[in-house]
Amino acid sequence: MAEAARRAEAPAGGDLALDEVASGYGAVSIVKGVSLRVRPGEIVALLGKNGMGKTTLLKTILGMVALRGGAISIDGASTAGLAPAKLVALGVGYAPQEQPLFQDLTVRDNLRLALSSDRLLPEALERAFGHFPFLKDRLSQRAGTLSGGEQKMLILTRALMLKPRLLLIDEISEGLQPSVVDRIANALAEERAASGASMLIVEQNLDFALRVSDRWAVLKLGEIDDEGVAEAEARDRVLRHLSV
Amino acid sequence: MLLILDVLTTAAILFVTSIGLLAIFGVLKIINFAHGAWITIGAYCAVVAAKLGLNPWAAAPLAFVVGAALGGLAELFIIRPLYRRPLDAILATWGLGIVIGQLITLGFGRDVQFTPNLLPGAVQLLGVDYSAYRLVALGAALVIGAAFAFTIEGTRLGLSARAVIMNEALARGLGIDTARVRFVTFMIGAGLASLAGVLLTPLASVDPNMGVGWLIGAFMLVMVSNASFLALAAACLVFGAAQVLISAFVSPIFGSIAIAVLAAVTLRISPKGFSRA
Repeated sequence: MAEAARRAEAPAGGDLALDEVASGYGAVSIVKGVSLRVRPGEIVALLGKNGMGKTTLLKTILGMVALRGGAISIDGASTAGLAPAKLVALGVGYAPQEQPLFQDLTVRDNLRLALSSDRLLPEALERAFGHFPFLKDRLSQRAGTLSGGEQKMLILTRALMLKPRLLLIDEISEGLQPSVVDRIANALAEERAASGASMLIVEQNLDFALRVSDRWAVLKLGEIDDEGVAEAEARDRVLRHLSV
Repeated sequence: MLLILDVLTTAAILFVTSIGLLAIFGVLKIINFAHGAWITIGAYCAVVAAKLGLNPWAAAPLAFVVGAALGGLAELFIIRPLYRRPLDAILATWGLGIVIGQLITLGFGRDVQFTPNLLPGAVQLLGVDYSAYRLVALGAALVIGAAFAFTIEGTRLGLSARAVIMNEALARGLGIDTARVRFVTFMIGAGLASLAGVLLTPLASVDPNMGVGWLIGAFMLVMVSNASFLALAAACLVFGAAQVLISAFVSPIFGSIAIAVLAAVTLRISPKGFSRA
């Protein structure tokens, strides 16, 4: 109840603050002192080559990888030690890149799993159909039999089911044809306009990232290498960081 | 006809004794080697119910509740701290089974205990006289199987459990309380094992080590089922038939080892066992 009350009182978009965040796996440090802010209603793109720690940083924010140093807060409250279930209840949505769907479950069951109760399903489905109408006819289909683009749209839809205040999205445009990337970009823009959700999106598709985001940051070897505003000149500046 | 009934009822008994182990293996990814001890706990619930003068059938819900409660405590204090060390968790369940066996010995002694027959007598079925109780066991297996299938396919707990079985990391990322799913699953698995213990009392002698033999058979069946409920049902039917036929036409001694041998051969041929069937 306290969490529900807190969500009701909080602004529509979550205010995410990372302060010198460090994390890793076993003896290996992956994220090394990252400070970053995603303000309410803002979309921030986290860019960088493979293996730079982008996905690990998202998992650290979600409590799936232990925080080794620094601090993470949402709306000023520390999230240290909170399990993913608590963070999701606080309004954090997650669209993962690795093994992102339950392939053998139906589309409907994949979407149900994002909700705390089936009572919320009809309303959540109506909103989902608003973004991606094709899902209406595919609810009974096994998720693993959807096309690659449809699977990505399902992953995003599932992350949106609980009306999250903060969305963590990991390489949602990877391997997609431009028309599907456009649909996803439109869905993100519509969701922000409708709910004011804040978003931290990890991307390798620079054009998509700069199109949907307000600001960007480049992660290199676990540290923020550069950051700026998503404007026309940003592309060349980011490319300099991403070139070999 | 007699052989067919023997095959069906043997398969039913194997299913009832294995389903709890399968549930725990599927969700927690560990083999609960204390499964036999929980079967024994259930059987001793029947002994206690008889001493208290209760209706013999009252032992069934009593055993499920006692088994589930003890299972919850075991998960909370013994299994949960070892989730990141699955081999240690398996060894801990083995040790727990030994401790439970010794505690039962302390409380009730080593002697075989006697319980009232849940349903004595025979009934005439398709031209043969057949044990009424074995037919009840067949019905119980169908009811337990249907209830289990409904829980898995028709409830949110079942959906969450399937999600944890398929991809626990993703389930956590979506906010599913995987620790709670594990806890409840262990309770249900332990409760089903104890329920099986009550249902076995008319068919097996009740002593502190009675669960060990059933554990071995259940372990083999779960191994060839690869955490699949339908595969377990198929394995119980096929291996149960083999056990009955080998016992009838070759030797009861060979029949008693049929499940272990067939499980080893099945896994050698197909590592996923019956789950591909």
